[in-house]
Amino acid sequence: MVEQLNQLDGIDVHHRDDSSGRIVITQEAEHIHDEVDGLKRIKALPHVVLAEMVYHCFEEDDELFEAVQPELNEQERIAVIPPYLNK
Amino acid sequence: MEITRREFIKTSAAAATAAAVGMPLSGTVQAAAKEAEADWQWDKGVCRFCGTGCGIMIATKDGRIVATKGDPDAPVNRGLNCIKGYFNGKIQYGKDRLTQPLMRMSNGKFDKQGKFVPVSWDQAFDEMEKQFRKAYAEKGPAGVAVFGSGQYTIPEGYAAAKLMKAGFRSNNIDPNARHCMASAVVGFIQTFGIDEPSGNYDDIEYTDTVITWGANMAECHPILWSRVSARRLSNDNVRVVNLTTANNQTSDIADTEIIFKPGTDLAIWNYIAREIVKRDAVNHDYVSKHCVFATGPYDIGYGMRGTDKYAFPAENDTQAKELKVKLDKWEAIAQRKKEGEVVEQKHRDKPVAHWLISFDDFKKAVEPYTLDFVAELSRGNPGEELASHKEKLKELADLYIDQNRKVVSYWTMGFNQHYRGSWVNEQAYMVHLLLGKQAMPGNGAFSLTGQPSACGTAREVGTFAHRLPADLVVTNPKHRARAEEIWKLPHNTLNPKVGSHIVKIMRDLEDGQVKFAWVQVNNPFQATANANHWIKAAREMDNFIVVSDPYPTISAKVADLILPTAMIFEKWGLYGNAERRTQAWREQVPPPGEARTDVWQILEFSKRFRLRDVWGEKPVAGLKEEGYADGTLPDVLAEAEKMGYSPDNTLYEVLFANAVNKKVKWPDPVAKGHDNHTARALGEGWFPEKALFNEYRKFGVGHMHDLAEFDVYYRDDVRGLKWPVVDGKETEWRFNAKYDPYVKTGDFEFYGPALKALPSGDLDKPTSNEKTSLAGKAKIFFRPYAAPPEQPDENYDLWLSTGRVLEHWHTGTMTQRVPELHRAMPTAQIFMHPEDADARGIKRNDIVVVESRRGMVKAVVETQGRNRPPKNYTFVPFFDEAVFINKVALDVTCPMSKETDYKKCAVKVYKA
Repeated sequence: MVEQLNQLDGIDVHHRDDSSGRIVITQEAEHIHDEVDGLKRIKALPHVVLAEMVYHCFEEDDELFEAVQPELNEQERIAVIPPYLNK
Repeated sequence: MEITRREFIKTSAAAATAAAVGMPLSGTVQAAAKEAEADWQWDKGVCRFCGTGCGIMIATKDGRIVATKGDPDAPVNRGLNCIKGYFNGKIQYGKDRLTQPLMRMSNGKFDKQGKFVPVSWDQAFDEMEKQFRKAYAEKGPAGVAVFGSGQYTIPEGYAAAKLMKAGFRSNNIDPNARHCMASAVVGFIQTFGIDEPSGNYDDIEYTDTVITWGANMAECHPILWSRVSARRLSNDNVRVVNLTTANNQTSDIADTEIIFKPGTDLAIWNYIAREIVKRDAVNHDYVSKHCVFATGPYDIGYGMRGTDKYAFPAENDTQAKELKVKLDKWEAIAQRKKEGEVVEQKHRDKPVAHWLISFDDFKKAVEPYTLDFVAELSRGNPGEELASHKEKLKELADLYIDQNRKVVSYWTMGFNQHYRGSWVNEQAYMVHLLLGKQAMPGNGAFSLTGQPSACGTAREVGTFAHRLPADLVVTNPKHRARAEEIWKLPHNTLNPKVGSHIVKIMRDLEDGQVKFAWVQVNNPFQATANANHWIKAAREMDNFIVVSDPYPTISAKVADLILPTAMIFEKWGLYGNAERRTQAWREQVPPPGEARTDVWQILEFSKRFRLRDVWGEKPVAGLKEEGYADGTLPDVLAEAEKMGYSPDNTLYEVLFANAVNKKVKWPDPVAKGHDNHTARALGEGWFPEKALFNEYRKFGVGHMHDLAEFDVYYRDDVRGLKWPVVDGKETEWRFNAKYDPYVKTGDFEFYGPALKALPSGDLDKPTSNEKTSLAGKAKIFFRPYAAPPEQPDENYDLWLSTGRVLEHWHTGTMTQRVPELHRAMPTAQIFMHPEDADARGIKRNDIVVVESRRGMVKAVVETQGRNRPPKNYTFVPFFDEAVFINKVALDVTCPMSKETDYKKCAVKVYKA
């Protein structure tokens, strides 16, 4: 299990407690969606009963804001009702 | 960032995590962790998301949130977070965060067909006031509405409810919690006479048996599920059974999975009840001392409109069932009638009426629910052998009945979002009460709450069309009098006529009865079923819709005015979770730009109106109440003047910034250096959130809903308290003499006061007018199986259910800030059985059209996902704006609770 985890991108295994079967890892990722996908990958590993994120540090994030496509950038443009709403 | 700093942070994070979950670490590691966080300030908070109510710690530095972690001292989650809770610190930093009010204008004036243009707060309130006055003058209190929320903080919900009910005298405030917990509330009030669960989360660690019904806890209450998993894995005797309509992740930990057909939960409960009776396993001592038997009418419709005037032509066949139902062969047996009988739905307007029956009648009623009958009716997976399904049902009954087993039943939306949601909630209590397995550690039916404060705010504060705080209701004169006393209102200020529930507010917008609506802390134009109707109403009818939100949601896009709103850690607040735990947090960082809290917006708006505008005579169509002239709310201005008010007083002065509240000063030592931008923006040196909480508290103290004082929730050693909090002590199990100070006699007392005097009757109707008192007792209801109103047929041949998935909260407004809506491909998937896909020439990852009588959307097919439906059944989550599944969903509701059944309608699926 520890080996499998170490092989995943951005994952470091830090602590393990064999008696309770718990492992503490850190995960680094570029974007929020990568963080979510990373957790899903861990949950999908065989023999993993539970995987939850406990501690989230983003002090040093250069970009707090997610990238938004240019046409949505101006506040006025949010008035554009996407076509699918009208069908 | 340099390598050493990054490594340092990782080490620190790992150390904090290990400490949070109680793993032993060396002193050096712990010291390193402390150093990395040296200039951070940690403060306790509550997760923004689900009804579990996990505690989190928030770290701030230089006016920014820099980290969050699960709170190791929180009894709910003991340091864990789920993936949503993990993102609590980031949700306010999406780039399309609204920072200015925006109004549709052309040529410098409001124009409903105009484009959104930034305006000042004053301009926004000017137009709001103008439009409100117009709607109010034309339609009276019934012409204005507030879409409220189970995600309101307690002060927000209280301010909104007080302004609407005491100020504008309108009961048209109803929360999205109507879509979530209304059926559960009806179940509680009908059964116990008082709202909210008797137990708490510690039941998990006491119980031997966890039965989940229509609740995908693994995805929707993950931290509670982690506690259940831990219990199961560390104890071989514990059993977990998952009753569900589609295989999901909750089944992975379950010992047994029972797949049942939509709506047949009604029959399965009755099978269990019949087994209890047949095996003579009724706990006669408990039942005779603490319970009575009851039943009600079956012909109550499905909560649809009584007319097809507004229906799209394709909807007519479903719509017709509202007035007349032709019983199928299952219903005939279940309801002791004849197959093919056409039953007029005569009790649509009085569905809640009920009466006492004898135990003999109860036995007679459950008699048809044999294993053979129920198994054949309920088998949900055509691929499973009937014998196997029967075996599982029998095992389920065994588990409930086993005298040596403690049992907890958990449910959420499978039971609540149900055309007979109130019935199936009552049935859960039926079984637990028959067995005497209720209101004690490890034993009890426990209604899980979806939203973070559906309990603490929507239900307890009463932001509903029929409610007032602390379980009071607008229809009860004694309750109104009590509210008028606490709120210092003249007699008969309050409107005794129940207002429009949330789906009805939408219907009222559609037929022009409501002309001003304010949306607060929710996204109703995405979240309400049969959305095509409501979007059209918002954009095309003559009305004015205001949306307060931090982000541009679908509701914002179809509105006329958008107000930028502060998010959770940008304000002071309190939430109440599913186990009655009220928890509090301080403002951590200021809101961006001109965003302001909902409390500030409500208070500022209230400054625009004077008593003379609202407390004169007002028309309310259909109002018929003793002490009121028909159709009219009286002029109370004369009495107001006797009380010391002037008709020129503003609602702000009367309802909010009154003498008592202004004595609650800001700054306050409880802040410990934290700011309060609401207090500063109001600029009058008083602490609105605390003052409002103090006033609200009066309703509950001594009335079975006691909350502690405001400052207590902010103490460093407190992680919330489960009410009633009496003499500083919280209540773990209610109605149980060992734990509940309100129990006066016996070992159990169901002291809830509502609906505790009933006439008696037989299984079909009351037979005498004389009412018997049921003080201290709970009701065991008989409710029959009834079929879902819209089922798959030749034209729309698949079931569609909707719901949540783990990583997305509700309509994705907080956890989905990337504009997927403008991508070519939608992301929300339709989960379907591979054979159903094959049969339609569809492959995994194809884009398909999902179409019902009401509308259509496109989605991506998933046949191998974490939700594995049986054949004939599909599931689509509702978070994705680009897969707007509520255009397809059906606005049938439980007629008693008015909660929409999002789980069952018929669709066809074909390649796009």
